[in-house]
Amino acid sequence: MAATTKTTGIGAALRRKEDLRLITGRGEFTDDFREAGQLYIYFLRSPHAHARIIKIDATEALALPGVKSVLTGKELLADGIKPLPHHVWALHPADIAMPNVDGSETFMAPHHAIAVDKARHVGEIVAMVVATSVALAKDAAELIHVEYDILPSVTNTWDTVKQDAAVVWDENGSNVCGDVETGSREDTNAAFAKAAHVARIETWVQRVTGVPMEPRAALAVFDEGTGRVTLTAGSGGSVRLKYDLAHMLGMKSEDVRIIMKDVGGNFGTRGMIYAEFCLVGWAARRLKTPVKWTAERSESFQSDYQARDLAVTAELALDKDGKFLAMRGSNIGNAGAHTSNFSPLQKGVEIMTSIYNIPTACFRARPVVSNTLPTRPYRSAGRPEVMFVMERLIDIAAREFGFDRVELRRKNLLHKEDLPFKNPFGMIYDNGDYHAVMEQVLELGDWTGFEARRAEAKARGKLRGIGVANYVDTATGVPRERAEITVRPDGQVDVIIGTISQGQGHETSFAQLATEFLHVPEDKVNIITGDTDVVKVGGGTHSGRGMRLASIVIWKASNEIIAKGKRIAALMAKADPAQVTFEKGHFHAAGQSLSLFDVARAASERNDLPDDLRAPLYAMSDETVNEAAFPYGAHVCEVEIDPALGTVEIARYSTVDDVGRAVNPMIIHGQTHGGIAQGVGQALMEEIVYDRQSGQLMTGSFMDYTMPRADNFPFFDAGFAEIPCTTHPLGIRPAGEGGTTPALGVTMNAVVDALRDFGVTHMDMPATPEKVWRAIHRKA
Amino acid sequence: MYDFSYHRPTSLQDAVSLLAKQPDAKPMSGGMSLLPSMKLRLSKWTDVVDLAAIPDLSGIREEAGHIIIGARTRHVEVATSALLHAKLPALAELAEGIGDPLVRNRGTIGGSIANADPAADYPSSVVALDATIITTRREIAADAFFTGLFETALAHDELITAVRYKIPKRAAYMKFRHPASRYAIVGAFVAQMEGAVRVAITGAGPHVFRIAAYEDALTKTFSSAALDGVTPKLPSLNTDLHASADYRAHAVVEMVRRAVKAAAARKSI
Amino acid sequence: MPQVTMQVNGRSVSGEVEARTLLVQFLREHLELTGTHVGCDTTQCGCCTVHVDGVGIKSCTMLALACEGANITTIEGLAKGDVLHPMQSAFSEHHGLQCGFCTPGMIMSAIDMVNRKGHALDETTVRKELEGNICRCTGYHNIVKAVQAGAAAMKGA
Repeated sequence: MAATTKTTGIGAALRRKEDLRLITGRGEFTDDFREAGQLYIYFLRSPHAHARIIKIDATEALALPGVKSVLTGKELLADGIKPLPHHVWALHPADIAMPNVDGSETFMAPHHAIAVDKARHVGEIVAMVVATSVALAKDAAELIHVEYDILPSVTNTWDTVKQDAAVVWDENGSNVCGDVETGSREDTNAAFAKAAHVARIETWVQRVTGVPMEPRAALAVFDEGTGRVTLTAGSGGSVRLKYDLAHMLGMKSEDVRIIMKDVGGNFGTRGMIYAEFCLVGWAARRLKTPVKWTAERSESFQSDYQARDLAVTAELALDKDGKFLAMRGSNIGNAGAHTSNFSPLQKGVEIMTSIYNIPTACFRARPVVSNTLPTRPYRSAGRPEVMFVMERLIDIAAREFGFDRVELRRKNLLHKEDLPFKNPFGMIYDNGDYHAVMEQVLELGDWTGFEARRAEAKARGKLRGIGVANYVDTATGVPRERAEITVRPDGQVDVIIGTISQGQGHETSFAQLATEFLHVPEDKVNIITGDTDVVKVGGGTHSGRGMRLASIVIWKASNEIIAKGKRIAALMAKADPAQVTFEKGHFHAAGQSLSLFDVARAASERNDLPDDLRAPLYAMSDETVNEAAFPYGAHVCEVEIDPALGTVEIARYSTVDDVGRAVNPMIIHGQTHGGIAQGVGQALMEEIVYDRQSGQLMTGSFMDYTMPRADNFPFFDAGFAEIPCTTHPLGIRPAGEGGTTPALGVTMNAVVDALRDFGVTHMDMPATPEKVWRAIHRKA
Repeated sequence: MYDFSYHRPTSLQDAVSLLAKQPDAKPMSGGMSLLPSMKLRLSKWTDVVDLAAIPDLSGIREEAGHIIIGARTRHVEVATSALLHAKLPALAELAEGIGDPLVRNRGTIGGSIANADPAADYPSSVVALDATIITTRREIAADAFFTGLFETALAHDELITAVRYKIPKRAAYMKFRHPASRYAIVGAFVAQMEGAVRVAITGAGPHVFRIAAYEDALTKTFSSAALDGVTPKLPSLNTDLHASADYRAHAVVEMVRRAVKAAAARKSI
Repeated sequence: MPQVTMQVNGRSVSGEVEARTLLVQFLREHLELTGTHVGCDTTQCGCCTVHVDGVGIKSCTMLALACEGANITTIEGLAKGDVLHPMQSAFSEHHGLQCGFCTPGMIMSAIDMVNRKGHALDETTVRKELEGNICRCTGYHNIVKAVQAGAAAMKGA
């Protein structure tokens, strides 16, 4: 762990500026906003997984006093509301392209905000009720009569590609939306032909849901005078939401304003526009009244994008000494009822081989649709799934062919001198020391002392197991970001940035950047986000891009501020600009010391400055960063199983993530802790379950969907490495997803290790008590 | 939630007559089960009769060799009662495991028993300890009280006022809790009473049930070894996402075993 | 419509409410005390925790009318002017919050925990007692640290 004693700027474990309002109840979450005379929305949702909508009769509902409107797919089309603007593939230049083998286009279907012909999943919106209260809107929804023609459904991912599967989109003829092959089939098959050993896995990385604790909500206001729609709603970023909403409503982007203050978690599933956001905006414009919608948790389970859901078959070829030769397989990514997002499939398959030296590989990748909620990226989209596959394969190979698990990893892990390294799919890993980090976590997790703990547990009747997993993460995302910095004469620095926090603590960590570069105390730095009338450009938080890109644009804008400041200071001191220095927040020119704010004041007061230096002291950096980043690390997990009931307890959990350069170590550790909990949650307890016959959502509330709680975890031993990233000007690597990326694999490796005496070599997630009990007792 | 008329009677008599007047009136004690089901529109009542203002319904006391617990005694009070920790610690421990601390701060024993949730904890104690349910009309023996899924022997306008527990020689409750809902997947209450052992299981079936084979074996010898080789006859058990019937059957055996061990380790009263 | 009167954060308030109005709705919508949050509809997440007559409860599962004459404390009522409650300070000092949505409920629940269990809280006790509060951001690590520190600090306060 990097020890730091810094109290300011980059590297300081600064307490957060945003905390005060949040611990005193003065946070501003979406549902905290209200408008005079606002109406309330309730959405009538499909109770069927797959059904043709024959007729909707809202007469009785509309007769209820206080019910203002009932809108359906018919009105939606009549008003020209466009389908959701999904970009199914990641478009970052560093991500691999996903062309279909047969040259055809990826199938995409219009995702209307209200179902217009068929409902394709339980929870799909069928009608929107607007009334004077939520309770009344609900009462009215019960009076809407919808006639459905119920169709056969398909929800299970393996089932989607079967010949006799129900077809979600008749237009496509099957549920397979694309069929992509990556890597080299010829080389891979040749390598497999020579292999001494082949390890195999067939697994389904189950579907989970993001569960940000703040349920989604939206408040829309239509200004008749200006014709503008203002939407207050929490999301992954305000700027993209503005453009997407404008597109759907058929409005100019400048006529849409997004306001986003505190956002209660995102994790990716909240990252983009939702049908409800558009519908709330549409209702406000149509009724010329403010309208509000707030999801209840059970509604979130039926409407929030879900995640993961990857069916994989994979093989790893090894020579007789355990050297990895090749890898091949097939991934099926279940996108749900709409062609909303296939990027987890893409971002997983491009790093299937992780950070091991595997010369060749070939994978088939197929996005499919099903009668389930649409899926989207969730905490490290696509990567936890494939790291799980790789790390499980290694343990399977070690077990089956008699290798030591750690030695096998040591033998195949890329060495620092191998880097940069182009993996078999074309991704170029930047730099790092994979071996050092793995050794560090083995030490932290006391790998060598484990057998004594296993024996001690056995004496107590418990099964203890340990696992290790390495990971790499492809951080790409929207490549463009902008920062605007204004130094105010009153001693404040305003930083407008296009990326908003949903809990990551940007008000603090981004301020630390400005402090580092401009030498102004953090409490004088105001991070301004979340109002698109102020923030014009920015990509939001996803794919490890928040700090990675913000640091670049804040750094560049700060440099420009200093450059401008030097010229102003030179004029003030009548000195040569080339001789002016900037140290500790002061410009030194011809023996004079002028503070940043002295200069800012001069910029606003003096009339002898060249045009480009006139007030305010301002700089903008707008950058498009086409390099990907490859944060990596290693985790060790130890579990203890009660064989009588099959319950699994996390006994110990250690991490070392290379963050390149830690801006705020306290915040980074917090990110890691939360990431671990989401990963362990998936490994041990979380699962979205659909009934395989009826397509009904069986996990519709916290009564059935198991959320990790405080007593599911020990304290974590979280460490990190700081090997500067060579593709980032400041050496920073993303740190938000490392907690989750290897957690699925490492936890399951530990569970399987604990069960080694029972002939267990693999178990699909989640490792629930019953599943573990069945494995121990060899019950099907 | 559907709207309703709210009543806050100050006497049992008023409460009963309010209920008698309306076929769709519902008494509310802590509301920890009633309100969630109403919020999700799973139940609809014209009238809610809040029992909170009725005096003398809560408290824990010992009387003639019994423990008497007022119907509106909250779980937290049961969990922390010094009297129970001395005389009937198993019941305090059971209460400590209900829901979560905030639910225990409001939920009541009478409310839980009257609701008769098949996965609630208290019903197992009522049956295992051969308790008597004291109501506004009569006294009902434990074995006659729970009649089905969310069904009891209570009439519509009949309210529980107290529960009278026999004090066992030794007892223990062991709960295998549902990871999401925190209800019991299986809860086993084992009580060594004067002359006989009673074993009651909650969570596993449509309502709390006893296991005669275990009771006989344990009556002869009160130790977990006495269970070896005894095959209990179980009713048809629940299957849900978190536990299939055969896993539950196994868990029943395991939790009874654990409860016996825990009880046997106690000093006999 | 029925009328209800209660003390909230030391202030007497009253309002007309439908019988079905929950305490949390009364606090948020009638009194505009929006620090108390709603994170679920099954009485599990604890985001809505407040104190009623000094006892921690989930305000999403209590009727406003049932609070007639009661004394309510919400997250907004904890600090004395600018002086934070020790549990509030502990959450910030130990980074026990990220998005902050569950935080008011966590803090109110933690104070109730101290009121019931005392100031010396071991890790196991804190984790068990947090059963009724769900957080998705922190992995609970720093929440547990914060509660332990806050509990100890409350002793001196």
